[in-house]
Amino acid sequence: MSPGPGKDDEMVIVGIGDFCVGKMQMSSIGLGSCIGLVIFDKDKGIGGMAHVMLPDSQGRGERPGKFADTAVEALTRELVKSGSRQGSLVAKIAGGAAMFKTFSGNLNIGERNIEAVKAALKLHNIPLAGEDTRGVTGRTMVYIPGNSGKISIKTADGTRKEI
Amino acid sequence: MLTNQQCDALRELGNIGAAHAATTLSTMLMSNIEMDVPEIYLIDISKVHEYVGDETAALVLFEINGEVSGGGYVLLHIPKNSVIRLTNAMLGMTEMNRDLTEMDESALLEIGNIMVSAFLDATAGLLNIIMLPSPPSLVIDMPHAAFQSILATEGFMDINEVVLFRTELKSDQHKITSNIFLLPNQPMLQDIIRMLEELMKST
Repeated sequence: MSPGPGKDDEMVIVGIGDFCVGKMQMSSIGLGSCIGLVIFDKDKGIGGMAHVMLPDSQGRGERPGKFADTAVEALTRELVKSGSRQGSLVAKIAGGAAMFKTFSGNLNIGERNIEAVKAALKLHNIPLAGEDTRGVTGRTMVYIPGNSGKISIKTADGTRKEI
Repeated sequence: MLTNQQCDALRELGNIGAAHAATTLSTMLMSNIEMDVPEIYLIDISKVHEYVGDETAALVLFEINGEVSGGGYVLLHIPKNSVIRLTNAMLGMTEMNRDLTEMDESALLEIGNIMVSAFLDATAGLLNIIMLPSPPSLVIDMPHAAFQSILATEGFMDINEVVLFRTELKSDQHKITSNIFLLPNQPMLQDIIRMLEELMKST
């Protein structure tokens, strides 16, 4: 998905490994071990979302939204490019669940994703203003830039909350 | 990533597996099962949400082991309403307005085991190998969240495109729908393609 502002009324679904920045509504559906990362400007009605799948890009430049380190960097860069001061940026995250424990090759990737996103935010001096992470259930998150940074989250059992 | 001919071969392989799974479901429900034409999708990871959504469903997952490179999965997907109808049909109950209970979970694990074993036995039989399902893992959650969690595991994490096989099995009589998904990782897919090509050469 190409970053950049879109129309105000459209809802963009940010798929796995994607990110977008703008004033439109954004949603990441069915986050499991992935992290839905939102960085927004607390003074302006603009923000961005990334659907982070893995903790570390290990230097890969493609698909910045896929990895914790490059996603934080890409969102920050695009927001600053759109006129935000880095000091006005705050972040919220959701996801990082462990949905099944019985399979191999699943070395608690959700937990590692949470830690990696937090470390990357710290590196960029972006405070974490809210999170709904861990647990064993999937989440869908919706962010509406005009709504003072509130993010709504629903889980499979029908629970809804705001962070 | 796949030629048309390879897609056709995979679809046929899945078709045979799904037909056997349908037969077991038919026996358990004592009803006709309709099966649609299986689909093979080559999907960018960012578009997975266009194929599997966040509508709550039961997913019975099995890792595939045996004489093929491991790391692929087979999943039985049943929407929540269909789960209730399925348990009701098996146990002769009628109450639709209820939550899922341990009874549904046992039924799902049982049905998942039987259907997926039939699916894997038939596909492996065609390839002249043995494929075994791992013990099942049941989640009642958002399908996209489950698929996404699989894509973040070691066998998949380096790739940006996945091959997904899907076929729908349904009982019109009981208004039950279900899907069988096969999600091979790259080494497993290559093994299967190679075996299919050898098979076609020898016939």
